[in-house]
Amino acid sequence: MTSVRRWNLTSTIVLAVLTAHVLMVIFPFVWMIYSTFKTNREFMRSVWSLPKSFSLDAYVGAWSGGALGGYAVNSLLIMAGATMITVILATLAGFALSAYRPRWLPAVELSMTAAMAIPAYVALVPLVVMLRGAGLLDTHLGVILPTAAFNVPVSIFIMQAFFNTLPRDLFDAARMDGASEWKIFLRVALPIARPAMFTVAIVNMIWVWNDFLFPVVFINSPARKTLPVGLTDFVGEHITNYPVMLAAILIAAIAPLILFVFFERQITAALIGGAVKE
Amino acid sequence: MSAGIGFAKRYNRAAILFLSPALVFVFAFVAYPVAYAGWLSLFRWDGASAPQFLAAGNFVRLAGDAIFWQALFRNILVALSAIVLQVFLALAIAYCLVRIVPAFSRIFLFFYLVPVMVSEICIGLLWRFMYNPYFGLVNAALSAIGLDSLKRGWLGESATAFSAVVVVMSFTYLGLYVLLFVAAVRNVPEGVYEAAEIDGAGEFRKFFSITMPMVWDAVRANSLLAIIGSLKTFSLVFVLTNGGPNHASEVVSTYLYKMGFGSFEMGYAATIGFAQMVLTALGAWIAFRYLKRVGAGAGAWS
Repeated sequence: MTSVRRWNLTSTIVLAVLTAHVLMVIFPFVWMIYSTFKTNREFMRSVWSLPKSFSLDAYVGAWSGGALGGYAVNSLLIMAGATMITVILATLAGFALSAYRPRWLPAVELSMTAAMAIPAYVALVPLVVMLRGAGLLDTHLGVILPTAAFNVPVSIFIMQAFFNTLPRDLFDAARMDGASEWKIFLRVALPIARPAMFTVAIVNMIWVWNDFLFPVVFINSPARKTLPVGLTDFVGEHITNYPVMLAAILIAAIAPLILFVFFERQITAALIGGAVKE
Repeated sequence: MSAGIGFAKRYNRAAILFLSPALVFVFAFVAYPVAYAGWLSLFRWDGASAPQFLAAGNFVRLAGDAIFWQALFRNILVALSAIVLQVFLALAIAYCLVRIVPAFSRIFLFFYLVPVMVSEICIGLLWRFMYNPYFGLVNAALSAIGLDSLKRGWLGESATAFSAVVVVMSFTYLGLYVLLFVAAVRNVPEGVYEAAEIDGAGEFRKFFSITMPMVWDAVRANSLLAIIGSLKTFSLVFVLTNGGPNHASEVVSTYLYKMGFGSFEMGYAATIGFAQMVLTALGAWIAFRYLKRVGAGAGAWS
């Protein structure tokens, strides 16, 4: 695609500037990682320096209370529930938006776009009232349902973008054979959509895992808190041991990073697909 | 494909069936709560005892609430900073990655995206360290280059708290826009650049005269995305400064949170959220109408 380029002075300067910038972006994480291998005294003596001996005390300290593991399990449950709901609803709706396109579809698209623009905190007080009325306040389900609802619109557009790439003859052929629309969805669309559903699932997992607003407001019991919420408590309690705090932050950040390393292509494709609609 | 009237009906019914679960769900947990917020904004309510009807009382209070207006103004500043420090910076970076150092674009893009994947809480806690007056890398870096006089408690001082938060926001979200622009810049046909090169155009000329106009739709879309994101901003501010010190970095979301779940003024909190949404929609509508008129005027020139 791109013609072979000559390496020149411009390229060298640009490469140098971008490298410096990327290093600035990534350095806080690098610093966080190597600082976790220091002892607290070593950290206090010099914040810059590399660890002299690789001490794993910080990780032991971060994990020893057991709280982080519990928070991670809560995050995992909420992530699984919300992601499952979102993927199912978004696949059904994305298929409908792409395959049928009746006259009223622009109205649906417009309302989904509007829903994406609404900040979640506008709905915060009413959601507390509704969840309390339904007995779902301070439960995992109480976080799962609104979280999924706020992620559904953008997920629909990612699925729609995928279904739009399929030739429509695919479905017409099945119709000629007398398949019902539901059968076409189940037997034709769903098997082909599996990679796209997987993609939507991955990005939703990252979003839900990282979410803070709904868990911090809807959950009070320490035993049901999610990792980002529990982490703020944890850091508050270990205010004097810096490597332990950094190790806890790293533990909380690691799951989405692992997903990103393994599924970079799918994640970037989904982010592009979701944004193009807006 | 000749779809008869029977097919159209069948399609319509199928479309409704497939869409309704998502629509019902989004209505129940997004649209209905927003409308409910409008209703709650008419009451004084502590969340426990009986709500007390105030009619427009909350809105009168809001109109005179300097903290709310400052918070709203800061949301607008966040949006403007996002357009400069995230959208346009990202476009320049994307151009460099795609056009000038394509061999490195993949690895650079990967690193730019790392902060996008990590939770805002982790980023915020990490940056609390960066800004720490005693152990922070920001002050340590200033010392290292001999600027000790600039050292300060960045998040703890009214003069710098908000700017310090804005810097972290740019750090966090820049990569998303780099990604979106890399996709857009790649779609510009190579031939256009080749023609420009034959005419002796340099990189700056190509960026401003070819790339910018040809990806302008993406610039507009991404700016819109940045504005929407700026109005939603909560977690980073919450964890970095919680709006402090003395409301110096307060945004609408943190103010709403404090009112609703700190002071238990549920009705007023609902008013804050509802009013911000209405004001934003109004602003968007005015901007849209104005831009359309400007667009029509510009059309005469092209």
